[in-house]
Amino acid sequence: MSVKEQFIENAKDGKVLTHKCTSCGFLHLSTVYYCEKCGSKEFEDSILDGVGSVATYTIITVAPAGFQKYTPYAFVILQLDDSDLRISGFMGGIATPADLPVGTRAKITGFDERGIIVEKQ
Amino acid sequence: MRFVEKVCVLGAGSTKYGKLADSIGDITTQASVAAIDSAGIDPKEIKAAYISNVFGVADKQVHLGPVLMSNLGISDKPSLSIESACGSGSVAFREAFANVAAGFYDCLIVSGVEKVTHTGTDWTTTYFAYCSDFFYEGQAGASFPGLFASMARAYLTEFDATEEDFAKVAVKNHQNGLLNPKAHLQKDITIDDVMNSAVVASPLKLYDCCPFSDGASSVVLCSEKFAKAHGGDYVEVIGSGRGGSPAALQGRDHMTTIPSTKIAAEAAYNMAGITAKDVDFAEVHDCFTIAEVVDTEDLGFFGKGQGIQAIREDRTKLNSDISINPSGGLKSKGHPIGATGVGQVVEVFDQLTGKAGARTVKDAKIGLTHNFGATGASCAVHVFQSV
Repeated sequence: MSVKEQFIENAKDGKVLTHKCTSCGFLHLSTVYYCEKCGSKEFEDSILDGVGSVATYTIITVAPAGFQKYTPYAFVILQLDDSDLRISGFMGGIATPADLPVGTRAKITGFDERGIIVEKQ
Repeated sequence: MRFVEKVCVLGAGSTKYGKLADSIGDITTQASVAAIDSAGIDPKEIKAAYISNVFGVADKQVHLGPVLMSNLGISDKPSLSIESACGSGSVAFREAFANVAAGFYDCLIVSGVEKVTHTGTDWTTTYFAYCSDFFYEGQAGASFPGLFASMARAYLTEFDATEEDFAKVAVKNHQNGLLNPKAHLQKDITIDDVMNSAVVASPLKLYDCCPFSDGASSVVLCSEKFAKAHGGDYVEVIGSGRGGSPAALQGRDHMTTIPSTKIAAEAAYNMAGITAKDVDFAEVHDCFTIAEVVDTEDLGFFGKGQGIQAIREDRTKLNSDISINPSGGLKSKGHPIGATGVGQVVEVFDQLTGKAGARTVKDAKIGLTHNFGATGASCAVHVFQSV
């Protein structure tokens, strides 16, 4: 399985596959091949719970092709707990800002044709 | 950094921006001919062309360079196309700048173009989403307004700002655009118009967003020796900088700043030997109202979180503290994405050579262009000085 396939399989289980640099310990999403801090290419897998709080988001009403049937929906950037990493995803069923204040607790619940799926916790 | 040659803009031209009927090849040629006429040169003096374009495939024409060169009667001259999303124009300009500065060529043409409006809003929205980090953003349903709306939401959360403040950016740029005969949206609007327009991606509404536009812009770039030998008006390029940011918003520690702008601006200011305070006016990348606020902070015109205060106090209007987007910006002038970065240089050329008419920035000596790709994943900043 490629790294991306492994990432997707983890997302389907609500997890985030990350790569921890074995030289300096810096944590990256697993789609990165060289350490941003020290340039090392050696990583070990670290699987995080896809749980955190909404760092920012938008509610989309004019959507790209394939997404019109889901409007209105939110695109969210989730700040993961216990790490500096953020990850973005699709959140359905959001119509107004009152539905999703910044800071709302949320979690990854799957991966499909809408990419990473995030739901309120 | 030492260069072999000083670099100058000798001529500039644009089509009108908006919904255009002519083909992508035709509008590229029209803008190029206008730039050549403005420079007062013979096309045969052009040694090569740099073309900026993103979605040529949408108008059934990629490999635009040879089409342009054939139309200019110089089919033996080399050309290339550069794609860097909405920042393509400034990146093409930068590459042309570097080649003249290094002494490879004494005269080049840079032509930017986009032709997309015929594909309709749904498809243009879809194509533009391909400029994001698709795996994380476009695939999850993020549109471009959606990505900038995410920045706007973060700004509203972090600073003392309101949606009405953002609306004021649109009102200002439309006022400037009314003075620009080539602007796409020549319409006076009010804050209420913006606030009552349809929500595209909360908190951004239709009038917070630049339009999808067709259009082409072109400049003739040359060495100072070449410019002096021709005797016409020209403008000197005194600073050029580029920078990068994480491709996806999620990779950035702060959602209310664009790292590539800061990096590019610092490089351009250093090369020019100036600071942000020395800039008389700037054409900045206001694809959405939030973007202009963030840009004016990242370029160093205002402190972090102070850009919104500057808008509120009218400090960025035409002939105020610093004139931001005298052309009307992307918001009113329009945003044919491959042309935009070159079009900004056209505006600076017109301003610094006394051709900007009613929207002239008084006593301007130094102008700046700032243009980025996607959510600022790529960026170029240039500084120009009147001669």
